[in-house]
Parts: sequence; C-alpha cells; structure tokens
Amino acid sequence: MNVIEIKNLTKYYGKARGVIDVSIEVEQGEVFGFIGPNGAGKSTTIRTLLGLIYPTSGSARIFGKSCTTNPEVREDVGYLPSEVFYYDGMRVIDLLRYSASFYRKDCTKRINELAEIMDLDLKRRIDDLSFGNKKKVGIVQGLLHGPKLIILDEPTTGLDPLMQQTFFDLIDSENKKGATVFLSSHILREVQKMCERVALIKDGRIIKLERMSALQENNFKRIKVEGLSNLDKTIFDMPGVSKLENGGKTASFLYRGDINNVIRKLAQTEVSNLSIDEPDLEEVFMHYYSKDG
Amino acid sequence: MNMYLHELKSLRKSTIIWVCAMIAIALVYLSLYPAIYRDGAHFKDMLAGYPASIRAMLGVTVDSVTSPLGFYSMILAFVVLCGGVQAMNLGMTILSKETRERTADFLLVKPVSRAAIVTAKVLAALTVLLVTDVLYYAVASTIASMVKQSSYSGGLFFMINLTLFFVQLIFFAIGAVVSVFFDRLRSVLPVSLGTVFGCYIVGALVAAGKDDWARFISPFRYFDYSYIIQNSRYETPYLITGAVIVVTAVVTCYFVFARKDIHAVS
Amino acid sequence: MNMVLRELRANTRALVIWSVCMFLCVLSGMAKFTAYTSATATGPSINDLLKTMPTSIKALFGFASFDMATMSGYLALLFIYVELVAAIHAALLGAGIIAKEESDKTTEYLMVKPVSRTAIVTSKLVAALLNVIVINVVTLVSFLIVVPLYSKGSNASGEVLMMTLSMFVVQLIFLSFGAALAASMRNPRASGSIASGTVLTAYFLARITDMSDKLRFLNVITPFKYFDLGRIVAGHGLNLGIVLLSLALVAAFSVLTYVFYQKRDLNI
Repeated sequence: MNVIEIKNLTKYYGKARGVIDVSIEVEQGEVFGFIGPNGAGKSTTIRTLLGLIYPTSGSARIFGKSCTTNPEVREDVGYLPSEVFYYDGMRVIDLLRYSASFYRKDCTKRINELAEIMDLDLKRRIDDLSFGNKKKVGIVQGLLHGPKLIILDEPTTGLDPLMQQTFFDLIDSENKKGATVFLSSHILREVQKMCERVALIKDGRIIKLERMSALQENNFKRIKVEGLSNLDKTIFDMPGVSKLENGGKTASFLYRGDINNVIRKLAQTEVSNLSIDEPDLEEVFMHYYSKDG
Repeated sequence: MNMYLHELKSLRKSTIIWVCAMIAIALVYLSLYPAIYRDGAHFKDMLAGYPASIRAMLGVTVDSVTSPLGFYSMILAFVVLCGGVQAMNLGMTILSKETRERTADFLLVKPVSRAAIVTAKVLAALTVLLVTDVLYYAVASTIASMVKQSSYSGGLFFMINLTLFFVQLIFFAIGAVVSVFFDRLRSVLPVSLGTVFGCYIVGALVAAGKDDWARFISPFRYFDYSYIIQNSRYETPYLITGAVIVVTAVVTCYFVFARKDIHAVS
Repeated sequence: MNMVLRELRANTRALVIWSVCMFLCVLSGMAKFTAYTSATATGPSINDLLKTMPTSIKALFGFASFDMATMSGYLALLFIYVELVAAIHAALLGAGIIAKEESDKTTEYLMVKPVSRTAIVTSKLVAALLNVIVINVVTLVSFLIVVPLYSKGSNASGEVLMMTLSMFVVQLIFLSFGAALAASMRNPRASGSIASGTVLTAYFLARITDMSDKLRFLNVITPFKYFDLGRIVAGHGLNLGIVLLSLALVAAFSVLTYVFYQKRDLNI
C-alpha cells in the first residue's frame, strides 16, 4: 500500500509558483528523501500533504485519504517543521501533554523515553530554551504518539552533530518498527545516509525520482588526475565530461559514458596519481541543479 | 475538550484583568452616587423659583438621571465600552493566534478538523465573556444595592446588564471575522481599539437621536437604556440586527477558516 | 537618517488610516452640531438655569461645563473624543515603535549594524514625532475645513488652533510614555496593551472628575485634564506654565526611554 500518494499536485500562491505537477508515491516502510534548494517547493508539497494548504489542482493523500476531508488520518502522522514555535508561557511537559491529548492513547511513557534519548529537560519553560532545545521539543512532540508516517522538514537545523546522530538513530529505529519516513532536506549527506529513494525538486517540478543507488551510480564517476608535468589543456575535451577543472598538473571532472574512452586518453599522458570515485550525492545534485543541468 | 481547556487556560490572566477593570469602573462611579443624588435633590429644590413648565421638564430629567437605574445606565455605558474592547480583542486574537504566534504547524497537523478547532475556540471565548459578565454582574449588583438611595427593579437591572453581553457578542463576532480575513495583522490592538472606539464615538456624537438610522452603525446604540427602563424590553429591530451580525460572522469564520491556506513561517 | 526613513515608511499605512479616521471623526461630529444647537437652545432661561446646575448633574447630562449652543462650546465637547483618538494613536505608536524590533524579531538585524542604541532610539522618536505632527496637522486642517460649514459665520479658528495645540502636547505625553514603557518592560509586546490601558484609565479618570468637585485633585494624573478646554472656549488660550510642565514630563519620559533602552537585554 502507498502511504503517500501525491498526484499531479499543482499549487499557485496567486500568481507565484508553489509546485507544478508533482507526483510522488511513497510505499509503506520506506525512507523517502525529498531534496531541493531553498524555494524549490519542498515545504509547499509537505504542507499540502498535511492539509495546511489547499492544492490548486491535483491531490495529496495520506493512507489513501486527504487530510483536509479526513483530518483523523493525521492521528498516525508525526510532523517536525523546519522551524518550531510554541505557545508562550508553557513548560515543555505542558506542551507535550497538550500535544498528547490529541491522540487516543496514553503517551506518557513514550514522552519520558524520548526526552531521555534526546536529553531534554521537561520541566523548563519553552520560552527560555535555545533554538536547538526547542527543536528537540519538536522532535519529541512529533514522535510521542508512535506515528506510522513521519514527515520531517529539514529536521536537523539547530542540532549539534552528536544530537543529529542521536536523532537519525531514533528515526532509524522508528523505521525498523515499521514507520514510513518522508525526509525533506537540502543537506544531501543526511538524505544519502538515510534514504532508499529520493525525489529531486527544482523550480516547483520534480526533475528526478529514483532509487538512491541508481541515482548514485547513474554511470557518473568523479575522476581526479595528477600529471608528472603540466596536463594538456584540451586533453579532456570530450563528450561525457562535465565540471572540468583543469589547472597545471591536476585535473578533476565528472564523467558519464564508456569508461574506456577516458582510459585511452589517460594512456597518452604520464600520470603520477589517479583516483576514480563514486560521486557523492552532492555532485549529482550540483549536476542537476546547475543552470544548464 | 482539550483545545477548549487550553484556550481557557491561556485566557485566564487577561480575563482577570478585564473583570477587575470593569469592576473598578463600576465601583468608582457608584461610590459617587450618594453625593450626586444629594446634588440632584438640592438642584430640584432650587427649581422651585422657576416657571412650572421648566420645573416639570427639568425635574423629570434630573429625576431620571439620578434614579438608581438611570445613573447606573450611564456607568454601564463605560463598562460596555471596556467590555467591547475586551470582546473585540478576544475575537481578533483567538482564531488568528496560531498564525501570529507561529504555532499553526503545531495545532493544525493534529488529527482534528478545522471546524472542531473553530468550535473549541469560539466556545472558549464565549465562556470567557460569560464568566466576565457574571462576575461583573455579581459585584455590580452588590455595590448598587449598597449605595442605592431608593428602590429599583432587580429585573430591569439585570436586563440592562445583559446588554453588556449582547454588545460583547457583536464585537467578538466582528473581531473574529476580521481576523480570519486579515490573519497577518501584526498587532491586533490598534484595529480593535480603533473599531470599538470608532463605534463608541459614532454612538456618542452621530447617532444621538432616538430613531436615527445611524444607530445601526454603532452596536453601542443598539440598546437604549432609557427605552429598556421605560418599556421593560429591548428594541426588536436592533436585537435582530445584532443577532444577524453575530450569526453571519461566526458562520463566515467557519467557512473561511476551513478553506484557508496556512503558510509557512519565515 | 536611513533609520528615520525606514520607520516612517513602516508607519505610513497606519498613519494614513489614522488620519482618515481623524478626518471622519471631525466631520461626523460636526455634522451633528445643528441637532445639538436646536436641542439645547430651547430658551434663554434654561441656559441660565443650566449655569446654576451642579457640575455632577451637568456631567450626567453629558455636556460638562460648555455652552452647547455655541460653536466653541460644542467644539470643546467634540474635542474630548478627538483627543481620545489622538492619545490612543500616540500611546500605541510610542510603544510600538520601540518594541518593533523585538516583536518583529528583527533585533539581530538592526543591532549588529554599526549604530549606537542612542542613535536608534533617536531615529525612532524622531519618526514617531513626525507621525504625531502629521496627525495634528490633519486634525487642524479638518477642523478648519469643516467648522466654517456649520458655524454660520462665527469664527472659531482661534479656539481650534489652541485646542489642537493642547492635543499635540497631550499626544507627546502619551507618546513618550508609551516609548518609556516599551523600553522598560521585559516583554515589550505587552507594552501596547498597557499603554492603551493607561490612556483609557486616564480618560475614565477625566470623566469621573467631571462628576465631583471633590475629586479635582485627580486631574493631576490625567493628561486629558491638563488643559482646561473651558479656558480655551473663553478665549484665554493655553496656560504657559502647564505647557512647560507637560513638556518637562515629555522630556523625562524620553530620557527614561534612552536609559532603559540602553540597559535592556534585547529579546531575540
């Protein structure tokens, strides 16, 4: 069963573009990554999914139902917004209890567990918390009811690296328990680490939707060459090469195509060092988002 | 229920302040009453030297303004002004609170419908207004019976006090409907103070006449105390107008709030 | 200068709305003048009689100590309301302009700029002062346009000028009070409520002291009573001593604003 079904979703804010014709399906138990630069439409998609905003056309469903007509489907959804703001003058525990009161189960035990894991002091006033600690409140708040679908919108901003690790371990264990995860981010490292499939969004449109492994392979290689003497300026002017940086003795580029072509070229020069790597997502990302890409 | 209780809790402090303010107004003015009553009696004695026609006319008016209910209805005008500001503020903040305090991402992703949110919030606001008015009524009627110089009808006293609640309902509804359309207002106070005082000033200056069409502009003039005291009932056209405003506004709130896009904070 | 312009621009829309309200207030109030004139001037003997009436009873009738049948008497009545509107505007403006950075969460933006807090407060106060001046000019011009339409020849522009001047001073008091309040409070967002609450309290006090001579001493704490409109109606203008004392009060509040703003821990 598809936990998330977004079909031909289009949203305009007046004349301003939100998203255009976005279609995504996320299966149960999957960790799905959603990446794109600022303003590409990630939050618009998520907010439509949650029923916070209404689509101009198309549909966004969770567990087969739309949040706007069936608000009760949100019973099984946990959401962590990119920026957390909470009511003034409440203690952490008050807010969490208020949050728990919306779900038909006792969450007290889970609240304490999560607070323990996230190292969060429940007795403090929310107003006095730092940004990172507020974020922790958001995490506990989003997970305390054991949601079957976890929607994360740039979740790690404000968390220190150790906390980020704790957080991803937590999400991972939720996923192992059967929760589906929808992770929106512009930090590629975390998407790369967590996700099985990713969708790339740019200027409001999905430009790529693929398995993580396929995206990374995609016949791209990151090649770095160091010559004994200065390299011929034109040696790598060949089809399949992109992001070429050729200066003096060293050259680096992305290559897609028959690897033998590169080897033949390299054979013509005296090479002192050579590395061929799988590109990380960042480079793939840059490839898609560069102006001509 | 949880949302209702949450709203009530967050409104607790401001409600206490408003009740105290309204009681203070009544207390200060009512404590002046015995002295003013004596001034009135004294003045009527002075009238003896004037022609009978003037004596009759002024005597009656002085009697009516210094009678317990006549005097109280003047005080009540100030209390209603104060209550109007409270109600309009309440109306303007309660539905737009999530957007202004940026907590929309918290509440609106919970498994409750938008209609349920509006219902909880409107009920909480009505509770606050009712509590305010009941507390005020309790204290005001006690003070009034302590300072009275002649007897008055408890039923009429209740009737004119009830207008406080009616006017508050109208301003609450206006505030709520304004807030669902303009939820990005950064500060609520200028708008609510402006509207309520605008209506008050219009009521005091423009719609001074009894059968003035301009009375419909200002909710403060929907209830004419001297009419109520004389006839023991409210004026139907204005009562209906008030009811129509409240119902239309609240229904509009449900519709607009349910269809509204909740934008990300930035 | 850039900060003054920024503040002016941020307040333009509010200023336009308030100015329009002010004009409408004057216009609608004056439109009722004829009704009052005919209603109260039923006969000379009653006007005489009214003079002997105790102040408390007159206050109950709602026309204080003014002769409602004359233009300047009526103006004085109308002016109480105009002044109330202006005072609310000034108090909200003063509190709002000082609290703006913290309520809009732009503190970090402004505070890292190479300007002193004193300079920030100065530009905010200058901008607020300009706003208040505009409101006053609008009010004065509204009166000067509207009054001749109803005054049937009698010239009240001298009284109008004096009343507007007194209003200006009252506005300055509330403006600087609001600013000092916002600068001193821990949660500056609440300062608007408290400032307007103070204006209302002052207004109610002014109405209460109308009722009883024994409460006259309370006039000291309500700026609405600093300037005796009866004195203006009688053609005596403003009391220079009170103007100076009021301005001293304004100066004191302004100094407090600087001191508190300099010392405060800004909320981010």
